[in-house]
Amino acid sequence: MSRLSEIPIRIEPPPALGGLGGGVTAILSELISLLERLTNSQESAAIDLRSLPMNVDDLAELRRALGEGEVRATLDAEGISAIRETKVPGVWWVEHRDRHGELMAELIEVTRMPQILMTASEEIATGARLLREQIALRSVARRPLTV
Amino acid sequence: MPHSDAEVTVGEMLRRHGISRRGFIKFCTAAASAMALPPAMGVAMADQLAHALRPSVLYLSFQECTGCLESLTRSFAPTIENLIFNVISLDYDDTLMAAAGEAAESARTKAMQDNFGKYVLIVDGSVPTGAGGAYCTAGGHSAVETLREAAKGAAAIVCVGTCSAFGGIPFADPNPTGAWPVTAIVGDKPIINVSGCPPIPEVITGTLLQFVTTGKVPELDEHLRPKVFFGNTIHDRCYRRPFYDEGKFAKSFDDEGARNGWCLYELGCKGPTTYNACATVKWNGGTSFPIESGHGCLGCSEPGFWDKGSFYAAQSTALWGKAGESSPREVLELTASAVAAGAVIGVASAGVSRLRQHRSEQNADERESNGDN
Amino acid sequence: MDLLGFARGPALKVALAIFCLGVAWRIAGFALLRIRRDLNKPRASPPRFLTEGLIAVGTRSWPHPEFIARTGAGEALGYSYHLGLFALVLLFGPHIAFLGSLFGISWPGLPSSLITVISVLTLALFLAVLFRRVTNPVMRMLSNFDDYFSWFITMLVLVTGLAATAHIGAPYQTLLALHILSFDVLLVWFPFGKLMHAFYIFPSRAINGALLARKGATS
Repeated sequence: MSRLSEIPIRIEPPPALGGLGGGVTAILSELISLLERLTNSQESAAIDLRSLPMNVDDLAELRRALGEGEVRATLDAEGISAIRETKVPGVWWVEHRDRHGELMAELIEVTRMPQILMTASEEIATGARLLREQIALRSVARRPLTV
Repeated sequence: MPHSDAEVTVGEMLRRHGISRRGFIKFCTAAASAMALPPAMGVAMADQLAHALRPSVLYLSFQECTGCLESLTRSFAPTIENLIFNVISLDYDDTLMAAAGEAAESARTKAMQDNFGKYVLIVDGSVPTGAGGAYCTAGGHSAVETLREAAKGAAAIVCVGTCSAFGGIPFADPNPTGAWPVTAIVGDKPIINVSGCPPIPEVITGTLLQFVTTGKVPELDEHLRPKVFFGNTIHDRCYRRPFYDEGKFAKSFDDEGARNGWCLYELGCKGPTTYNACATVKWNGGTSFPIESGHGCLGCSEPGFWDKGSFYAAQSTALWGKAGESSPREVLELTASAVAAGAVIGVASAGVSRLRQHRSEQNADERESNGDN
Repeated sequence: MDLLGFARGPALKVALAIFCLGVAWRIAGFALLRIRRDLNKPRASPPRFLTEGLIAVGTRSWPHPEFIARTGAGEALGYSYHLGLFALVLLFGPHIAFLGSLFGISWPGLPSSLITVISVLTLALFLAVLFRRVTNPVMRMLSNFDDYFSWFITMLVLVTGLAATAHIGAPYQTLLALHILSFDVLLVWFPFGKLMHAFYIFPSRAINGALLARKGATS
């Protein structure tokens, strides 16, 4: 049995994984059709980046192609999520991380605003109630102490 | 262990644990992504689940090594904690629960009574029937009895692991305990097989989550495995596929080809005939899977994988004898004896033929000499 | 036991046994055929029979110039697909693994993409050969079940092999099982049909050459 150090090694560049360079172009084309759908029928859509066989380089290239826009939102719920609008209006890059900082999901959403940012209707009523309680507490606090 | 709380919705449980609506949407989005469902399903799932009641779940372990439960407790999306505290009510698991003995068993029977017809039964381990079922008993009851009893009130049965799905290692030749998979014991309930030795954690939790969310059994293949996870072979999604297509195979472990990450077909990889999600979902939260770590696929999510020959013999090789791969010596013995037998028959038939020819020549000579006279 | 396990296991074992038995039987029969005793004086010494016999194997492997116009195309077709078959059977990785598992030896092979090209070309040649057999009036008249079935079973092995490597038509497991099963059928058929020419041609040509040498002729 030869020793580990005696086994010859030749480093070869990894093979191009069959036409995946064209993957970025394919995604961009799909984004165009999704944006058109958003314009015509107000329908939002999303692409799960985990479902595509992209390597690190393809992902970086996609990020460069889409760029960074004006809006950057941080969601702090069960971990930090980063929601950014790209340079392409209507195209949002969403990264969800858990409490340990592990990437849970990565999506590209084609929408006016990602739904997760919107406040739910049922919660608005709760908000009003919270404020009423706050006002009640304040008025109690301001009442002069009757001796 | 939370007691069965049939009236509490998942949404209410979340609120009690301080998990916000948005946090829950994140959780469902991640789960949908892990299950390779479209992202829009994440939000829909969050909506549905929020109003769903937490089902009672009973986890029964029979002839198993506990590897499947160990796998389940390592799930990243959803985590087991998330699952147990928010989505399901795990009313019985003899490994995880704090109670033991009579207290544990009475918790089980109470949960079965209270939720009759509605609880989800998870089973891991095969069920031995030999010696009247004596090879696996707990609390004085054999596994067969317990399973049959528990199956009566189950809404569905999820078989976690190859042992409960297909018999697994106890079922392998010579199967001394008379082990059988759950499908051989229970015939009248919907069964979902989540096979694998062990199954990928996210596949187990994803299947449970899908069932709880939709209330329906997902689309299954002919072995009753969810198609969303078991619809493709490892080979179909393997990142080393270009090497297979180019004919670049590693010949031995740690040779140059292996170090270059070439295809492991010749080292016995069963990827082409194994259906599982290892190549896409991977293990340890997407870290790696056996082939990426340099070892061929064992085919552990397929029925009878222990009896399909050596893990290190290529799928195109000859396979006979109980041990699996044939040895050149066996082949030589077989061919030599067949050749000998053939030669004997050949010589014998040549002999018979010659005898006949000789006789007919003799007859012809006789007739000639008679004709002359 | 599933289909693949059956094809690689018991079916292969039985097929291999029948193959060896059948080939031995037929070779024994062939070797024990009576040759009419030639009462003429031999025109050459016995060592010359041997050399002439061996030379005949070579010279009779290609038609004489007078006949090339008529049979050359057929011969060329035949040789081409034989070469194609040998290349893909003996130089394809999984085949080398298969034979290696039987005989304990191994040798380097060709890249799979090249083997695929060779296989497709061989497939085309096989179809051409059938076309010729069916359209040529003489060949059509001479052809029997043996001819067509031997062609069919070899073709089946080739087609199922291509389908398995390309993963088309059915799950890989089924395709591989069908490929190995059809090979098993080929093994069983081999000793009892014209495929035995694999064992006969060289001795046959050598013996003819030797006999002619005895008579003082060369071919």
